[in-house]
Parts: sequence; C-alpha cells; structure tokens
Amino acid sequence: MKAFDIVIVGAGMAGMRAAIGAVRRDLRVAVISKVHPLRSPGLSAEEGLNAVLHDGRKASGKDPAVPALMDLHIKDARDCGYQFSDDAPLETMVQRAPGVVRELERWGCPFSLEKDGQYALRRTGAVSRPRNLHVSDKTGHAVLYTLYEQCVRLRQNKPDKLRFFEEWLVLKLLVSGNAAAGVIAMQMDSGKTEVFQAKSIIWASGGSGRVYGSTSNALTSTGLGLAVPVSAGVTLQDMEFVQFGPTQLPGSHIQITEAALAEGALLLNRKGERFLASYNDSREEMELSPRDVICRNIYREILAGRGIDASCVHLDMRTLGRRKIRAILPVTRELCRKHAGADPASQLIPVRPGQNYMIGGIHTNEKAESDINGLFAAGECANPGVHGANACEGDPLTEALVFAEIAADSASKYAVQHRNRKHGSETLFRNALEEEENKLTHMLTVKGEVRTAELRNKMQELMDRHAGVFRDGMGLVEAAKGIRELKKTLAEDLHTDGKERRANPGLTEALELKGSLEIADIIVQAALSRNESIGVHFRNDFPAPKGRRRHSLIKVRKTKIRIRYTGVKSRHKWLKEIAPGKLAEKL
Amino acid sequence: MKAKTWKISVFRFDPLKDTEHRFVKYTIPRSGVRTVLDALIYIRDHEDDTLAFRASCRQGRCGSCAVHCNGRYGLACEMPLKSGKNTIRPLAQLPVIRDLVVDMEPFWEKYESIKPYLVRSSKTAGRNYRNRRELEKKIDCILCGACFSACLMTGKNPAFHGPAAYVAVNRFLHDDSDAITGQRLAMVKGENGVFRCHNMFNCNEACPKNVEPAENILEIKKNID
Ligand SMILES: Cc1cc2nc3c(=O)[nH]c(=O)nc-3n(C[C@H](O)[C@H](O)[C@H](O)COP(=O)(O)OP(=O)(O)OC[C@H]3O[C@@H](n4cnc5c(N)ncnc54)[C@H](O)[C@@H]3O)c2cc1C
Ligand code: SF4
Ligand code: FES
Repeated sequence: MKAFDIVIVGAGMAGMRAAIGAVRRDLRVAVISKVHPLRSPGLSAEEGLNAVLHDGRKASGKDPAVPALMDLHIKDARDCGYQFSDDAPLETMVQRAPGVVRELERWGCPFSLEKDGQYALRRTGAVSRPRNLHVSDKTGHAVLYTLYEQCVRLRQNKPDKLRFFEEWLVLKLLVSGNAAAGVIAMQMDSGKTEVFQAKSIIWASGGSGRVYGSTSNALTSTGLGLAVPVSAGVTLQDMEFVQFGPTQLPGSHIQITEAALAEGALLLNRKGERFLASYNDSREEMELSPRDVICRNIYREILAGRGIDASCVHLDMRTLGRRKIRAILPVTRELCRKHAGADPASQLIPVRPGQNYMIGGIHTNEKAESDINGLFAAGECANPGVHGANACEGDPLTEALVFAEIAADSASKYAVQHRNRKHGSETLFRNALEEEENKLTHMLTVKGEVRTAELRNKMQELMDRHAGVFRDGMGLVEAAKGIRELKKTLAEDLHTDGKERRANPGLTEALELKGSLEIADIIVQAALSRNESIGVHFRNDFPAPKGRRRHSLIKVRKTKIRIRYTGVKSRHKWLKEIAPGKLAEKL
Repeated sequence: MKAKTWKISVFRFDPLKDTEHRFVKYTIPRSGVRTVLDALIYIRDHEDDTLAFRASCRQGRCGSCAVHCNGRYGLACEMPLKSGKNTIRPLAQLPVIRDLVVDMEPFWEKYESIKPYLVRSSKTAGRNYRNRRELEKKIDCILCGACFSACLMTGKNPAFHGPAAYVAVNRFLHDDSDAITGQRLAMVKGENGVFRCHNMFNCNEACPKNVEPAENILEIKKNID
C-alpha cells in the first residue's frame, strides 16, 4: 500500500496543474496516469484558451476596461451555453482566467504575440470580442509541456513531495462512510495492483469521447476514468450535453481546429455555396456561429443531398492564403497533408461533424467539490456548470486550468483538516484489493467467444447513430437496449487471447470498454430523459426547449441509473429569444 | 488490380518468457487500414490481443507511437503502409518491455537531467515579438524518442544526453527570459556532452516532426565556442 496526502488521477492539463497547486501548498502528492503525462489527450487542443487580458491597451488587472470585458466574457459564455450556466462557477472562471494565463507565461509558455508585444487574440465563434489566446495552433502541446516542465522542476526541488505513477490504470475509487479514502490502480507493464491511500483525491481523468466512433478524441479517452468514480457513487451532471466539432476529417475524425473558421475559412456545399447562409440560425454569423448550430446545419445540408460524398461538406482554407496558413496554422497544414492527402492552401478539405468534448461530468461546485467528501474534480471529467448547454470554444481549457487550481486549494485544505483522521481501514483496503483482483482474474478466465473490438465497434455504431447531433426517443431506446446487451456479453462471453495480467493489451482494452459502456449507457439515458431540445442536445421528437432551465443529476445505484433535475443557479432571467452569438446585439 | 491485403511482419518479444525475439507475419485487409498504427490496431483487435504497442492521439501529436518500419523511424500513426512486406520493429537502444513497447525511462532520465524548464530571470523585459516567433518554432519536439534510437552515440555512450535532450536545451537557450544560460551550457559541454556528437545526422533523418536535432546541436556548439 502507498499513502499520500493527495492522490491525483490523471496527468493532463487539469491533473498537472492541480499537482503544481498542491505541491506548492506543501502536501505530498501522487499523480497517477495511464499514459506518460506528455502523452495526455489535451495536447491535441489547437485553438486556444479564453481570458480577458487587454483591449489593445495595457495588460494589467487595473485596466479600467477589464471588469467590463470580463462581463462580456461571462455574457458570451452564458449566451453560448443557452443561459444554462450557473453564475458562481462561470464568474469564478472568468475572473481567474487572466491569472492562469500570466502564470503559464511566467513558466515559459510562449503565447503568440502581436508585433507590439501584446497577446495575439483570436475571435472565435459566437463571441463578441477576441479573447482566445494561443500558441499558433499548438496551444494544447505548449500548455501541457509547460505544466510538465514545472512539475519536473518541482520534483527536482522537492523530491519527497511529488511522485508520478505513469502507465498505471486506475480501476477503483475507495469510499468509506461517504469520504474518499484512496484508489486501486494496476501497473500496466507488470500487472501488479496496489492501493493508493489518500486524505483527499483530485479526479482529472479527462474526456470520454471514445464511446463514439466519430470522435476527435485520443484513443485513450475511453470513459473508464469517469466510470470509476461513478461506480463509487459520485453524482454526474448534464451527461446528455455532448459537444460536437464541425470540422473533422472523414474516417479518422482528426479534428481540423475551429481556429481555421475563426481565421476566415469557409464551409461549402457540393455546389460550392456557403450554405450556412440558407439557415436562419447561422445566416448572420455564418462560419462564426455557435458550434452546435453549425453541426446541425452541416447535417441538414448533407441530408438535403448537397453534401460531398453523402457525408461531408468542404472546408475552404484557400481564402487564408499560403503564407498565413504556414505562419499561424502549421499543425493544421501538416494534418491535412498527412491525413487527408491535401494541401489546404490550394485544395478543399472534406470535413464532417463528430464528437469533440464532454460538457457533462462529475457534478462539482465553484470549490471543485463533488458530493463525496474529500473527492474533488477538474477538467473535462468534471462539470462545475460553466458551459451550460453548449461550450464556447476555448473555455474548456480555461475551465480545466482554473478549476484545477481551485481543486488543489480545496483538496489541500481538506487534507490538512483531516490529517489525523483515519480514512478507511486496513480491512477495507485489503478486501477491496482482493475483490478487484478477482474481477481481473474473472475477465481473463471467462471462456467466451466475443472479442472486445467487436463489442466496442457495436457500441460506437449505436452511439454515432442514436446519440449524435440529432436524437429521438425511439433511437435512444434502441441504443439503450443495445448497450445493455453489450454489457451482458462483455461480462459473460468475452474472449481474450492472453491469460496474464502483465503487459496485456487484451485485458486493458476490455477494462476500458467496460468503462466506456457504463458512460455510453449514462449518456443515452440522460438524453432519453431530457424531453426537450437545448444547445447541443437536439431531440427531433421534442424540437424546442421546455419551461424551466434544469441540470440533470445522474447517479448509479447497483447498476440502475437514476436521473433527477435541479434548477440552473442563475440570477439572470432566461431570455429564450436570445440565441447564442447574436453579434450585432452584443457589440 | 490493387491487392486487397497488406503484408505485415511484427517484432514480438516477451523478455520474461522468450529467449529471442521473432517476427510474426500477418495478412490483413486493406479496407479501413492506411497507416502502420491502423495495422497494429487491426491485428490487436482481430488476430491477437496480446500484441503490445503504445498509441494515444493517432494524429502525430503525442509522441507515443514511434517505431521502426520499412527501414526508417517514424510515428506509426503517420506512416502509410506500402505494398510488399511491412516490417515493424520497436525503438532501438531501449529495453523491450513487450513487443513494440520499450522502456522509455533512460530517455526520460536524460531529458530531465538537462533541467528542461524555464528558470525565469527577474530582470527580463516584457514579451518580445521576435523572440516569441522564434520560440514558437523551437517547441515542435514531441519527445517521441526516434532520434534517441537512431543516434549512434546514445548507443555507444550511455552518459550522452541524446538529441532530444539537446533540442530541449536549445529551446531554453533561445528563450530570452531564461536566467541560467551559463548553467545550461556548462551542463552540456562536458566530456559526454554535445561535442560527442559527430554530425552523423541520423537524428534529423529519424525525426518525424522536422525538428532537425542536429541543427539544434550545432547551434548549441556555436554558443559554447
Ligand atoms: C482535438 C481536440 C481539440 C481541442 N481543442 C480545444 C481548444 O482549442 N480549446 C479548448 O479549450 N479545448 C479544446 N479541447 C478540449 C480540451 O483539450 C480538453 O477538454 C482538455 O484538454 C481536457 O484536459 P484534462 O486534463 O481534463 O484531460 P486529458 O488531457 O484528457 O487528460 C486525462 C488524463 O487522465 C488520465 N486517465 C484517464 N483515465 C485514467 C485511468 N482510468 N487511470 C489512470 N489515468 C487515467 C490520462 O492518462 C490523462 O493523463 C480539444 C479537444 C480535442 C480532442
Ligand atoms: S527531436 Fe524529433 S525524433 Fe527526437 S524526440 Fe523530438 S520529435 Fe522525436
Ligand atoms: S499516436 Fe500520438 S503520435 Fe502517434
């Protein structure tokens, strides 16, 4: 058994930022990740993060324009989320965002600048002001590396305070009397399992996009990371809100960053027309419309027979010119050339929508607390209620970083307060470990017929077809049925080739799939239960919003998914007629 | 007519069981399989799920999947398969854990030994546009390890930091807000340092991201002279 003050699950942006925060508060921290920190999914984020820094004037908090600009950031995010955001966490995020950026800058993150030394800010979709900071189109890479570099520095300076456990897969969250007590993880190359005891735990396991087939997410964003705390009883929020990105390459679903649209690329149908002009909700802002709107209208265009190869539309970056593409979108250029075999400076790129970001996640408040004592969460696996029903481009990264620091603060305070309290007993840990070992053995010894990949493909097909941009009751019921069957097959009829735990991808894939199926099930149930259309959640059978703004709260008890609703915590009236991104009104 | 299948030969080795590695041949359909990574996933999913390899982003960003295939190093997720036989090997110079998964620890150790982080000097001026443009181009290394494996010196001299570590050194030397330039140079000019590099340019050839480690090493050397 290993014991720490704080255990952090995940070493992406949120996990590493939280680690820095906790070590600075002088606690003993373990970070557990199934991949090396520098392989974490967040590094594919290209576009950037949002913060109010300056308005062409001084980049100082004392700039009189700053409070007004922050109000606009809040308003943009709120409107973009169809006013489903909770006030307190959203305001917290916006107010603390500049600090996060300055800190990254101080640690060496080379944010792109204008010639005069001010930050280069991009104006992304559905916002009133440019506030998207970026490192050309390598933002995720640059931020992740900066955080890791600082972790290395801390580890060299305070070796007893920070430890990384790389390529350890977290399988279970241990809870004792509604307080988090530790986790069980398996070292992937040796197959060894171990209990990590902790005074408090920060969950930062990232996204779950791989429950879909059409997703921009890394292969490792399976959902197991989120399924683990769910089975320990944590409450999730708004899992039906799944963000789709409009511009992914067909087949691989590698995402061409929305920064391309922000910089002036166009979306064209088969006839070469800017089809967004023919839909009411995208007529005004065209390619800078909110992402949910663009995704729906791309599908409508394809359904009307005006798509490319019956499943795509064209992204036209030729308008940007070769020089600009090379200068500010070098990664995008490389991705197009290597994975679409086309040069964006001279050729049209076929694109289609696909899953990109999970808005839903562990229900947290503005202190990053979950409903299990001592369990805090940040990043994509959490939902503090910032994004409402549709995330504004660039806010997810900001949210991850701001709430990671908050989680570090809250978790540190909790750990100090409970320093002398015993979290969980020896018997609890021993029994839990034994139970987990038995499960692993069972998985490897079921003499079944069905390969993990077959089940995974079926799940992804069901999710793509029924829980995508457009949904309806009948389809969701079918998906729910299908997923339940897949769960049963996985438990009873799984085939694995290897019989050892050690470095066995067959085992890890099966474990990941088990987590994916849990999350897929939850998304489908939550989507089925919300009988209305709002933001990213569009039900063909209920195409309008209902009377009251509600978050869904989801809990799993003994394999039963229970959903209830709670009102959005906002003092602002719901002005349904204000669709997101009406630039004209905002400016 | 185009063939309907790919021929793949994969290095397989379990150090705890096997005395020697072997190459296992697979014939897999072309449909839906374009890159080396697609092939590995196909084999794991349909033929043998004990085949071990690393991959995450599948878009050439995370650096997990570097392997040797058809005579050169590269990222499995970026290397297209070719007609004829495709022979896939793990990175050299690093101990094999299983099949294509190698123990990267020696590589990370070297990287971390050169203090790969900014130590900000208190008196640097504000943000400088020109310096920033330069830096944007100095951060492309994804620490995939290909250059480390291709380099003849890392094999011969275990104390040599290796090309990727020098790329990181050069990145911080280029940062005008870094305070420990002197320390960085002192660290790499020792007897196992940059001057052990004999400009074979294997690293440049191996690098999937056009980082040109050899040029970075030359730049460091110039700083020392
Ligand atoms: C292609 C793409 C582009 C994007 N672009 C942008 C953008 O421009 N702007 C923006 O704001 N957002 C963007 N996003 C979203 C944003 O990148 C993510 O929301 C953010 O990076 C999530 O960070 P994280 O730290 O929460 O998780 P991640 O970076 O996903 O890290 C998760 C960590 O948890 C670990 N982990 C997970 N499960 C387990 C387990 N069971 N056991 C052990 N470890 C585990 C993983 O190893 C990893 O270290 C983009 C996303 C994608 C996919
Ligand atoms: S320099 Fe190139 S080959 Fe070497 S680690 Fe970096 S990206 Fe890989
Ligand atoms: S899988 Fe990330 S670089 Fe290949």
